[in-house]
Amino acid sequence: MLDTIVKLLKESGVHAWELTDVKAEGWEFYFIRHELDQNRAKNVEHIMVKVYQLVEDGKFMGSASAELPPTATEDEARRLIADLAYRATLVKNRPYTLNPLTEAHRETLHSAPVNVKKIARDFIEVMQQLPETETEDINSYEIFVNAKKRRFLNSEGIDVEEIYPSSMIEVVVNARKDGHEIELYRNYDSGSCDADGLKRDLARTIRYGKDRLRAQPTPALGQADVIFTGSDAINIYDYFVSRLYTDMIFRRMSDWEIGKPIAEELNGDKVTVTLLRELENSSENHAFDREGAPIRDTVLLREGVPAALCGSRMFSSYMGLKGTFVPTNILAEGGTHTEEELRAGKYLEAVEFSDFQVDEMTGDIFGEIRLGYWHDGEKTVPVSGGSISGSMFDFVKDMQMSRESVQYDNYRIPALTLLKNVTVTGVGE
Amino acid sequence: MKAPFSAYLSGIKPGLRELIGLLRRDYDYVSVLATDSRGLAVRISQHARSVASETMTTERGIVVRVYKNGQYSEYALNEFDPARVEETAEQILKALREQQEILAATGTKIYDTAMLRDEPQTLFVEKETEQLPETTDVKSLVEKLGALSDAGMGMSEYMIESIANAQSTHICKMFLTENRDLCQSYVYSEGAAVAVVMRDGRNQIGYQSVSGLCGPELFEQLQDKMSKAVDTAVELLDAGRIEPGEYDIIASPEVTGLIAHEAFGHGVEMDMFVKNRALGKEYVDKRVGSDLVTMHEGALCAENVTSYAFDDEGTLAGDVIEIDRGILKTGICDALAALRLGVEPTGNGKRENFEHKVYTRMTNTVFDSGTDTLEDMIASIKHGYLLEGMESGMEDPKHWGIQCIIKMGREIVDGKLTGKVVAPIIMTGYVPDLLGNISMLSPDREIFGSGGCGKGHKEWVKVTDGGPYLKTKARLG
Repeated sequence: MLDTIVKLLKESGVHAWELTDVKAEGWEFYFIRHELDQNRAKNVEHIMVKVYQLVEDGKFMGSASAELPPTATEDEARRLIADLAYRATLVKNRPYTLNPLTEAHRETLHSAPVNVKKIARDFIEVMQQLPETETEDINSYEIFVNAKKRRFLNSEGIDVEEIYPSSMIEVVVNARKDGHEIELYRNYDSGSCDADGLKRDLARTIRYGKDRLRAQPTPALGQADVIFTGSDAINIYDYFVSRLYTDMIFRRMSDWEIGKPIAEELNGDKVTVTLLRELENSSENHAFDREGAPIRDTVLLREGVPAALCGSRMFSSYMGLKGTFVPTNILAEGGTHTEEELRAGKYLEAVEFSDFQVDEMTGDIFGEIRLGYWHDGEKTVPVSGGSISGSMFDFVKDMQMSRESVQYDNYRIPALTLLKNVTVTGVGE
Repeated sequence: MKAPFSAYLSGIKPGLRELIGLLRRDYDYVSVLATDSRGLAVRISQHARSVASETMTTERGIVVRVYKNGQYSEYALNEFDPARVEETAEQILKALREQQEILAATGTKIYDTAMLRDEPQTLFVEKETEQLPETTDVKSLVEKLGALSDAGMGMSEYMIESIANAQSTHICKMFLTENRDLCQSYVYSEGAAVAVVMRDGRNQIGYQSVSGLCGPELFEQLQDKMSKAVDTAVELLDAGRIEPGEYDIIASPEVTGLIAHEAFGHGVEMDMFVKNRALGKEYVDKRVGSDLVTMHEGALCAENVTSYAFDDEGTLAGDVIEIDRGILKTGICDALAALRLGVEPTGNGKRENFEHKVYTRMTNTVFDSGTDTLEDMIASIKHGYLLEGMESGMEDPKHWGIQCIIKMGREIVDGKLTGKVVAPIIMTGYVPDLLGNISMLSPDREIFGSGGCGKGHKEWVKVTDGGPYLKTKARLG
């Protein structure tokens, strides 16, 4: 079918085109406790066609896109392309060129077949081996395993294909005491099943469950130092990446510039972020991005100073940049502190939020605390309720990170991240 | 005009009936949901403009559900060829057989569930619309949205971006079993005007939306929305920070909807009852709010983006009174959860798309109105806030915690708005306290249908929520 679509695109006379074909074989298993709720399988193909047209003698360029069903006939495909060719003329953007064919496109990163059966079985078996007790156990879990084959072609001659695994497991953990039961929610994305990592993190989650049962109301701390030790810290490092997207900068939603520090006074650890093409067992190990741009290891932010930008072809082209791409794997390098140093003094350790958010444009952070530990310098008390808030514009000036790092799917980040003077709206005294 | 049912689905129906017949040799129950939903999405900003045929709910594919020995299994595909039905049946049987081998090898037990009833039923619904996304005048729409975006830029010296979004989707779904034949076709649309401002290196966003059970004709309503979006964004530039604490609050209809959705929307999704993941299970027929609180849920209780005729399991749409004058009466339920709980399904079994599993999901979740005026509510508050604009929310059905991120609060002191604005606001609290403290409700009611709802952190579907202005107490930070 793809050969037919390419032929039709070439015959159509459109200025340029992109074609993405993703085939996915998926296996899914849903459990209530350890009993099978339902099993599912899927075998699907999604073909996305995007065409570009020059408008008003090349002064503008427009685009239009659509998904073409894999069951479409040649006539249906021809009609759809003709419709897109017309619609693209209605849109007036500044012209730019699509990603060109380069030497990097001749490499093939992932082409080995993915064994969904084995990965799915690994997940099922690891969930049967967790250290459950009478008071801490697994409520339910959902396993998703996909073998994906993605092919990208464009009118510049790019034709690349990769095969990769993409998995996810969602787990709900219960803990109970004296008739009171709580739950903790986890979802883990990965390439294949990281059995050891899963067991380790779920054992820690079960411990958190026990602590939440004895948690006291979060005190009204006013402002406090907050240490993030869980995957919510990803949102903090995403903030740095997002503000270095070309579309954010071009549209003045981020005022960061290459070579200019991100804040006037950077007194804490200075953040360094590198975009990686490969990270072990990441679900996002790709040789090229969604527009066919080759992905390469790139330092985006070096010690608090932007070193490069990332993002889609359109805005990168407008800014005169070459070699940019949409990030997949992100490495935020460790700071200068040991865990022991960061844990000195009074601080709130936030380990569970309802939904921790960082707004990349305004810098605002929010999160309702489901479980934290208030370390008052002498003793440690599990706390729950209330919220934290503040602005990354302020926090970047003196944030601190541990030297040790931890990986969550496609992010490797410092194991501990400390933000100073965070507003803590408590529910207790 | 009526939104015409998909010719594609009508064309494959005989083949799907044949497939059901073939699979019935191996399974006791077989159903097929087939979808063919087409759309149009136009996004116009000052720097990037696009036209696409995909929205959040466009799809074409089929999902087969089978049952045997207490076990439900599904297979989703999007290359169904009516001329090769036997091949497709064998493909499904092979995949599910292989999964069964893994389940046997790992000693997995089955959550034994009864078989779904398959009583004869036919339904063919084509809902009214003025226009269709497939055939609407895209050129005219692009021009109108472009003019709106341009106009927005002239509304404030601080504007740096002005975005006009319009999406319309023509949903066509067909549900078949041996005895059932349900077909529906309807169009829903949603649009937004977004204003981005910058002053002294700080940005703010204002956002206004429209939605409805109608075609692209809805987008005429966007014309009035940009100026309000710009006003909101500019006001936010001068917003201060709130002093954290508990306050009397007035929730605007948008915030009321967010409370309805997060407080007792997710909390009474009864597939969570099956897993013992929702406290609501223990509170049926008990008080969860003040006498003023009555809440409805169902595809039939409003005409908006998720007002379908039947859900993704072939259960007809409903209208459930979840909370009646403060007493929790019932939850909402998909078909399998209903079998497991021994109750009737409520027409709330929804999939993100044909590739995804059914879960119990919300449709329209709304508080009933009251009799108090907004002016009286403001006058009754010594020190509090009128909360406007929703950003996001997160449920906690197990503990009835609630987190709502709200765009802004207007300060009220001694019964009057002071003109001071605070932003952003995180509202947290214990749901029975929040609902128990509701003391005033306005007579008017608005429903909002832009955006989507996830279950946990995935499974995105369209929902709406809303209600009147309401007064209660909440913890703000």
